[in-house]
Amino acid sequence: MKSMKKMLALLMALVLTFALVGCGGSSDDAAAPADNGATEEKTEEAPADDASADDATADDTAEAGDSEGGLIKVGYAQIGAESDWRLANTESFKQQFTEENGYELIFNDGQQKQENQIKAIRDFIAQDVDYIVLAPVVETGWDTVLQEAKDAGIPVILSDRGVDVADDSLYTTQVCGDFVLEGNNAGDWLAQELKDKGRDKEEINVCVIEGTTGASAATGRKEGFAAKADENGWKILDSQDGDFTQEGGQEVMESFLKNYDDIDVVVCANDNEAFGAIAAIEAAGKTTGPEGDIWIISFDAVKQGFQYMVDGKLNCDVECNPLYGPKIDEIIKKLENGEELEKLSHPEEGVFDYKTAADLIDSRPY
Amino acid sequence: MKNLITKMSTQAFVIMVTIILFIIMYAAGCVVYADKNFTNIQVFFNLFISNAGLIIISASMTMVMISGGIDISVGSQVALVCMMMCDLVMNKHVPTAAAIAICIVYGIVYGIYAGVMVAYLNIQPFIVGLSGMFFARGMTAVINTGMLSIADKTFDVLAKTKIMIPIDFLAKVNKRGMKIYPNLYPSVIIAFLVLVIMFVMLKYTKFGRAIYAIGGNEQSALLMGLNVKKTKFLVYLLDGAIVALGSVVYCMNTCGGFVAQAQGLEMDAIAAAVIGGTSLMGGVGNVFGTLLGVMTKATIEALVSFQGSLSSWWAKIIIATLLAFFIILQSIITRIKAKARD
Amino acid sequence: MNKETSTLKRMVGHQLFMPIISLIIVMLITVVYKSLFGKDGVHLDLTFFQIQITNGHLYGYLIDILNHAGGLVILAIGMTLTVASSAGTDISVGAVSALCAAVCVRVLGRENVVADYSTGVYILAFIAAMLVGALCGVFNGYLVAYLDIQPMVATLILFTAGRGMAQLLVNGYIIYVRKESYKWLGSFFPHIPLPSALIVAMVVAVVMYLVLNKTALGLYIQAVGINKKASHVVGLNSKMIILLTYVFCGWCASINGLIKSSEIASVDANNIGLMMELDAILSVAIGGNSLGGGKFNLFGSIIGAVTIQALSTVLLSMSVESTQVPVFKALLVAAIVVFQSPEIQRWRRNRKARAAAAGKKVA
Repeated sequence: MKSMKKMLALLMALVLTFALVGCGGSSDDAAAPADNGATEEKTEEAPADDASADDATADDTAEAGDSEGGLIKVGYAQIGAESDWRLANTESFKQQFTEENGYELIFNDGQQKQENQIKAIRDFIAQDVDYIVLAPVVETGWDTVLQEAKDAGIPVILSDRGVDVADDSLYTTQVCGDFVLEGNNAGDWLAQELKDKGRDKEEINVCVIEGTTGASAATGRKEGFAAKADENGWKILDSQDGDFTQEGGQEVMESFLKNYDDIDVVVCANDNEAFGAIAAIEAAGKTTGPEGDIWIISFDAVKQGFQYMVDGKLNCDVECNPLYGPKIDEIIKKLENGEELEKLSHPEEGVFDYKTAADLIDSRPY
Repeated sequence: MKNLITKMSTQAFVIMVTIILFIIMYAAGCVVYADKNFTNIQVFFNLFISNAGLIIISASMTMVMISGGIDISVGSQVALVCMMMCDLVMNKHVPTAAAIAICIVYGIVYGIYAGVMVAYLNIQPFIVGLSGMFFARGMTAVINTGMLSIADKTFDVLAKTKIMIPIDFLAKVNKRGMKIYPNLYPSVIIAFLVLVIMFVMLKYTKFGRAIYAIGGNEQSALLMGLNVKKTKFLVYLLDGAIVALGSVVYCMNTCGGFVAQAQGLEMDAIAAAVIGGTSLMGGVGNVFGTLLGVMTKATIEALVSFQGSLSSWWAKIIIATLLAFFIILQSIITRIKAKARD
Repeated sequence: MNKETSTLKRMVGHQLFMPIISLIIVMLITVVYKSLFGKDGVHLDLTFFQIQITNGHLYGYLIDILNHAGGLVILAIGMTLTVASSAGTDISVGAVSALCAAVCVRVLGRENVVADYSTGVYILAFIAAMLVGALCGVFNGYLVAYLDIQPMVATLILFTAGRGMAQLLVNGYIIYVRKESYKWLGSFFPHIPLPSALIVAMVVAVVMYLVLNKTALGLYIQAVGINKKASHVVGLNSKMIILLTYVFCGWCASINGLIKSSEIASVDANNIGLMMELDAILSVAIGGNSLGGGKFNLFGSIIGAVTIQALSTVLLSMSVESTQVPVFKALLVAAIVVFQSPEIQRWRRNRKARAAAAGKKVA
């Protein structure tokens, strides 16, 4: 009797988990996972159930593949879903690499862990994909697995961030924002704005909230801006890691506000950090934006960033265009045709500020 | 069913379930993803290649769990050792062999700290592990807040030599007409060596049996005349050394070091051990069960990955469910056995 | 034998001694650092303790610490009880925080940017979040109390799955809430000078103190923690008591999730409450509570939580990289735990006894 109760408890626990999970998910394959789980439960029974449930989904993709016969298989190892920019980047891919366009996209979310991405690449190689697109979460440590891809003859395209490998031939080409240029652009905008407002002879104090240490976006933007700061004689009071998150930006800004009371400009490595920094400044009783005490410069230029500019809280947002889908589509088509490619290419990127934000905000796709 | 359970030891029954589960999942994958080459033997090998470090670390975690303790610092230790390797070899120009030796010495030193805290000062292993975790993670950042990578000839030989298995019928001809033999890396061989040594140690040496005894019931072990303190101390010392070795092997897979590396690895190791039949209460456990646990986890991840459009969070949820299943299963079996005894 | 224990000795031996001293030391460090390395040369720099009123609310380093510590304090209170009743370290609280925050925002609206909602829906969202937190607590508690599963392993399940479930709820997006009133819980209620997180934490602390000390509940929890079987024999419903502590801990996690989500006016399922379970356990340990269960002191954990937050804030202000802060946390907890370990206590008592005996012989 008691052991029956425990068996019941076991089933209950599993059902509970799946009920919770079931009501949440609305991903494309909502049905399949529930089936998967149910079969996990009845381990001793019906392997047939397993196969039939999975077959349902596998058949769909298999059919598509078979009937077209010429779908280009692309394996995409994405970093994760840690920021709006990243999500827009993912969306762009998913929209571009569809079956209508002749692709079969195998998407993997690395949850910001390198080991997950390494596993994903190995799985792609085993699945014999035609191309691998990798957005490396960190720069180092890819030699082994990229070598495996090379040995299997699969071209690797890098997206957004770069890798630091001993042998350059391990990847075919890279598409990323020119982060150093972004940093430069931010500096140039500031120089111009100071001149326009007649403040270019003042001593300008800048605080920098960096991005996740080790990410090429963070390093590039920091270097780019620092170079312009040097040129223009601005003083960088402090520079700390905000981890590209809102909470990080807020905590770092709070600390800056306590240590320095004459901050003129804050440069945030991405919009999420800027939101946090603005919240911290407002809590301290100061104001931000073109009419405010402290000017804020940010990167990424997501829609929320534009909203902040329209609201008058953010001064300048340097775009980091996340819509890589079309660009990489172009690259793959070129590779298919056997054309030569540059090693490094950049998407179009602009610099936006509060003056033009209101006009442009509706046309922002992300 | 009940008779079967009471006749077999809990250990054996749980491992049996694990094996069956693993076979079912892997077979399902082969059937469903046949068009995606899941049947390729390389997929099976990848389970080991990508997890060689985890296998070693989970085996060490099993040993600690059998003794009734736990070590949650392992993830951070991996990060620290990887960073140390990179820093020593690339920035301080220490030869690879010496760097590995230094890392293992560090592991031993940490093991001594943990051993003294747990065995002689009677401090809860969880807190000791917690302090170790924070310390190691922070020290990783102290060495270098950025990212480092290793590009050293000796290390490359260790890490990147592909061991081809030139058996024709296992080879695949891929779309580009290239014939690819399945391959392994030295890291996998090291992992298996460690596993075998640990298995022998746990099952056939006095030390190993003392560990089981202490984990099972510390008071009884003490009364039996076992030197509980010394054994526990040695367990943690060994754990430190083996984890350091596992970290070096992990480094062979990634060839790099950065601050957030291997975050959460300790939970993966614990989950693998539990799925493999090790009980957190001590006295029960088997390193080959743990190996199966790692393979199961890796298979689930591969299944989700091959699906191609499921969010990878599903893998975590499935693993969690499996974990729940095994935990509750162990509890039920213990109850059945307890009743059978009375 | 000298039976009088001087006030000093009693103070040092008190459980709260170590946590309070740690807090004082952490604050002293920043005062010393600022005084020596401050901008205007060497002088006594007490700006750390400065509190001013800006925009109608309090502002200052201390306020920052207390504000950010609010969520951690609540988690620590919940954790104290689960540790006390079952030697149970509930490592799922971080993931449950994220899950509850996701539930709350999902009830508020189905879009990716929630712009407006009625007060009724707001209250419903809160209740839903708290319910989910409590449910997670029921799950954990049932496994620990009724199925006799090791707490760490039982909570490992939600630790692994919780964030995944939260991610599925928000479809992988970061959901923003644009209504101003949503931010109040994470910063300041209008016209109230104290940070809201602090107020909530204080309310929870006071209520729990009263419940635990003015009713027999505190005693029951300690009894169950010290000896589950004996308590059962004496007539306590040990299992229910343990279950209740986990439900409470789950509820605390939901409150923490709501506060953290309100702080950033969004739900980031990846990052809310990340690693907070470890800080909560650390708080309980620094507070002098034994992780093996039994007697507990709520204020110890609260002071522990504030100390940890203070440590982070102080180190950040000294320009220590946030990634390097854990080293100091490790040293702090190692020092305290060693000092409070039963072996060291015994050694100290032996030393005193031997010294007293030797003293007597000579004299």
